[in-house]
Amino acid sequence: MLKLKGVESGYDLLQVLWDVELEVDEGEFVAILGPNGAGKTTTLRTIAGYVRALKGSIEFNGKSIVGLEPHRVSRLGIGYVSESSNLFAGMSIHENLLVGAYTVKNKQLIASQVDLVFELFPRLHERRNQLAGTLSGGERKMLAIARGLMPSPSLLLVDEPSLGLAPIPTLAAFEALKQLSQRGTTILLVEQNVNTTLHLVDRAYVLEQGKVVLEGTGPQLLSNKDVQEAYLGI
Amino acid sequence: MTTATATNLKQVPLLRRYLNLTSAILVVAAAAMIVVSIQNPSLLVNTLATGGMWALMAGGLALVFGVMNIPSFVHGDLFMVGTLVALFVFTPIQSMIQDAPNDFVLKWLGPFAGMILAFILGAVIGVLMELLLFRQLRRRSREQWVMNTFLLTAGLSIMFENVAMMAFGNLPQGISRYWDVPPIDVLGVPVAMDRLVTFIVAMGTLAVFALFLQRSRTGRAMRAVSMDETGAQMAGIGLTRIYQLTLALSCGLAALAGAVLIWLTPFTPTVGASPLLIAWYVVILAGLGNVQGAVVGAFLVAMVQQLTGYYLALNWVDVLPTGIIILVLLFKPSGLFGSEVKGVWEQ
Repeated sequence: MLKLKGVESGYDLLQVLWDVELEVDEGEFVAILGPNGAGKTTTLRTIAGYVRALKGSIEFNGKSIVGLEPHRVSRLGIGYVSESSNLFAGMSIHENLLVGAYTVKNKQLIASQVDLVFELFPRLHERRNQLAGTLSGGERKMLAIARGLMPSPSLLLVDEPSLGLAPIPTLAAFEALKQLSQRGTTILLVEQNVNTTLHLVDRAYVLEQGKVVLEGTGPQLLSNKDVQEAYLGI
Repeated sequence: MTTATATNLKQVPLLRRYLNLTSAILVVAAAAMIVVSIQNPSLLVNTLATGGMWALMAGGLALVFGVMNIPSFVHGDLFMVGTLVALFVFTPIQSMIQDAPNDFVLKWLGPFAGMILAFILGAVIGVLMELLLFRQLRRRSREQWVMNTFLLTAGLSIMFENVAMMAFGNLPQGISRYWDVPPIDVLGVPVAMDRLVTFIVAMGTLAVFALFLQRSRTGRAMRAVSMDETGAQMAGIGLTRIYQLTLALSCGLAALAGAVLIWLTPFTPTVGASPLLIAWYVVILAGLGNVQGAVVGAFLVAMVQQLTGYYLALNWVDVLPTGIIILVLLFKPSGLFGSEVKGVWEQ
């Protein structure tokens, strides 16, 4: 479904990604792990079109998406949930969801999609008329994911849902992602929380200094010596 | 002890919600207006008519600032373009009306042609400004954006005024009245038809404008862009299209205001200077980028102007609003309706 080949990218004079190879198949739940500054977020931003790839190819369902503007990428069915959420602070939860469904023209479809995400996040349903700017960190993350789901994307890119959250909301966010994956959404997740993530996902890539250094299934990586030493402290 | 502190903490924001500067000013203003309008109803009529027009100007200005972060100083020249369109469209219609005084459709609906055309031409100029200027600037650099766009619009304004002077001269040219009919009786007060239509057009346009921003898919997208551009792009909203629409709408509204108000302010190349300043008073008074606040602020400023003109002297009309703005900025720098949450439609 998504295929990155030899992707190099970065900001102005600072190149961050060096020859990144990555693949996500339909229905898979894949994670990108790695330390701070490894280029995990840049990878997602490059796929979503906010950072332009300098080299290499990014293919989505067989078509190149390099150089497309972010809203064009979004319209192809790639949802992106950023680490800072980028919610519309002055709008209610419900309105945030409606803007999320901007590309959906069918009003019935929008309503059923709203019901669906409220079912997934009952907390949001309780507060549907509250302004997004007044939500707690965990609720914001939920709303960001919910908004990303509104156009029913075929691939969802999620950047560090655990960032800045207490353990319980973090678990709730992971739980929601797990449910989504079980319902058939393809997810590419970026995380620093290695242990929890590896128990959750089908496959993972480990990114260090802008290069993929390891890849494998969850259990494979959990039993890998380097991973244990560097990330799990065993 | 702890419970006492807790209740105190709860009561402070409640008290402040009702006893703050904004509501105090609104209450005083409303009371003053009621007292005055009992004495002299024509002041109320004038306040509502001109206030509605300043609301169209200031609403557009606030929208452009909220969505695109452009402090527009070319807004007044769109007002001037509006008066020009009205002049050139209505003059032939006027002679047609004189030739056929019994054609009621022409007589009643003819004047609206100029207003509609002014809105359309204003919108076209807005789109051209985005295509030829702001987009080019944005592509090259977004650094110092507010300062650069301020200079750009200020320069553009000088160009507009000089081209208008070259083409149409320096002398005032106006229309004394759109509708040559006797004043209409509204609740015992005779109101000139032009004044009444000014008020109706203003209210109607504002209502449509508000509904559009609040309820429509595109209006919502505009507000989304003003709150978080990245978030809007994530939802599949193309920024370029929203920018174009924003400028089209705001420039169209300014031109419409010019066309509707030509009976009050005849065309001169610099006729837009005063409405521009008033729109800025209003926008600063209300809080930058806040469209809803700008609409309320417009009526406040119009009221202060009317009262000053009537009780003090006409040349004080600009002095008092400016004085009030200095006071507001001293005590509430975010403006009357300003808040932490930034956006076009938020209080």
